[in-house]
Amino acid sequence: MTALLFKDLRLTAHPALFFFLFFGVLLCVPGYPYGMVFFFGCLGLFFTTMNGRENGDVFFTATLPVRKGDVVRGRCALFVLVQLSQLLLSLPFAFLRPLWLPEGNVAGIEANAAYYGFGLLSFGLFNLIFLPAFYRTAYQAGRAFVKAMIPVALLIFIMEALSHFPDLAWLDSIRPSDQLRQLPFLAAGAMFYALATFLGCRIARHRFEQVDL
Amino acid sequence: MSLLEVDGLCKRYPSFLLSDVSFRVEPGRIMGLIGKNGAGKSTTLKALLHMVRPDSGSIRMFGLDFSDYELSCKQELGVVLGGIDFYRRKKLSQITRAVRLFYPQWDENAYREYLRLFDLDERKCPDQLSAGMRVKYMLALALSHHARLLVLDEPTSGMDPVSRDDLLNLFQALVKDGQRAILFSTHITSDLDKCADDVTYLKDGTVLCSAEKTRFRAAFSHLRESGDPDLLPLEEIMVRTERRDDHDCPAV
Repeated sequence: MTALLFKDLRLTAHPALFFFLFFGVLLCVPGYPYGMVFFFGCLGLFFTTMNGRENGDVFFTATLPVRKGDVVRGRCALFVLVQLSQLLLSLPFAFLRPLWLPEGNVAGIEANAAYYGFGLLSFGLFNLIFLPAFYRTAYQAGRAFVKAMIPVALLIFIMEALSHFPDLAWLDSIRPSDQLRQLPFLAAGAMFYALATFLGCRIARHRFEQVDL
Repeated sequence: MSLLEVDGLCKRYPSFLLSDVSFRVEPGRIMGLIGKNGAGKSTTLKALLHMVRPDSGSIRMFGLDFSDYELSCKQELGVVLGGIDFYRRKKLSQITRAVRLFYPQWDENAYREYLRLFDLDERKCPDQLSAGMRVKYMLALALSHHARLLVLDEPTSGMDPVSRDDLLNLFQALVKDGQRAILFSTHITSDLDKCADDVTYLKDGTVLCSAEKTRFRAAFSHLRESGDPDLLPLEEIMVRTERRDDHDCPAV
């Protein structure tokens, strides 16, 4: 698995993937919908999938001493590594931004525990839809991306909209007491992410086994 | 022990049937897989690598069932898929760094030696190499992990006659020690006239004949016309067979 991950990082990863990894810095932009950070996370993985397709990555990998299903496992490992790294790399900016922008984010949700819960939810949803859709053919990356991004964009929109409801002001807060209330969101997001990614990879692997390259 | 035994390989597509394909590749031999475009050559090779799921049939590699021992079989297998360019903008050194992690028995000294022998510059990208040099690079990778069976899909297509001749000489040199074998598909029959020991002829998804080259040519003596030599060249065998209405299978 390490060899597959290394191969993907060295040969398949699109340069934009590494660039987008640091887009957590957007959390320091005043009046910005921070859900875009998750969108760029998904976009980088889509570019990488396209890059792999254009470079015959699936064929090349199938000639290496790995099982066919391992091709999908390796790619899933890359998705998880990139998504979790992006969230982790954004954390310092989430902590710094109240010092930098004490007036808060007027455009949408604050970078708080609920935000990260929604982030994990978005990435999990993306993995659950994109991976099985792409590995149905191992070719139609664009179609898989559109299929996955419609519900993910809707989820991001809901996240940003919720922060404008007065009754849900606690969801948009960075006060420690409110963030404690948000922790179940974060936990639910993490659980959904783990489950959805596991399921997405499993279905993708099963579908890819049936594909004739 | 055969390095590769294919028995009764079948694969059904909506508009094509690969039917009961069987052949063996022995150590120290070069087997050519011939057939016109769409005859099933690439499908057969892909089925060997599990890129295509066969409906039935068995594949034994190095005496082991390929389905059960896929990983260990692939450790001793080298594959060159012609016509597919991998990682065109990556330097060869980057590709090699990623590939060698998959092979515990990777021999860096051998790799350096093959780079020198094939006159390959690691700083170049596949895009900057000719078709022949790309095949040589893939061969260098395969030989550096001491692959005993080389499976090559149309490795000479798109090459000029001199590069093709160089490559065919290289194939012969590689199997000379009797440890390795090469299975390669081609529709350029003159390649096989030059270097193949055995020939398997696929027509419309079935094996028309699989035999040692001289026996193979003798098996098609019924295609001879007046003034023809005793043994027809492979090209004539293929052209006449494809143009005939009745395709009786020869007795080999």
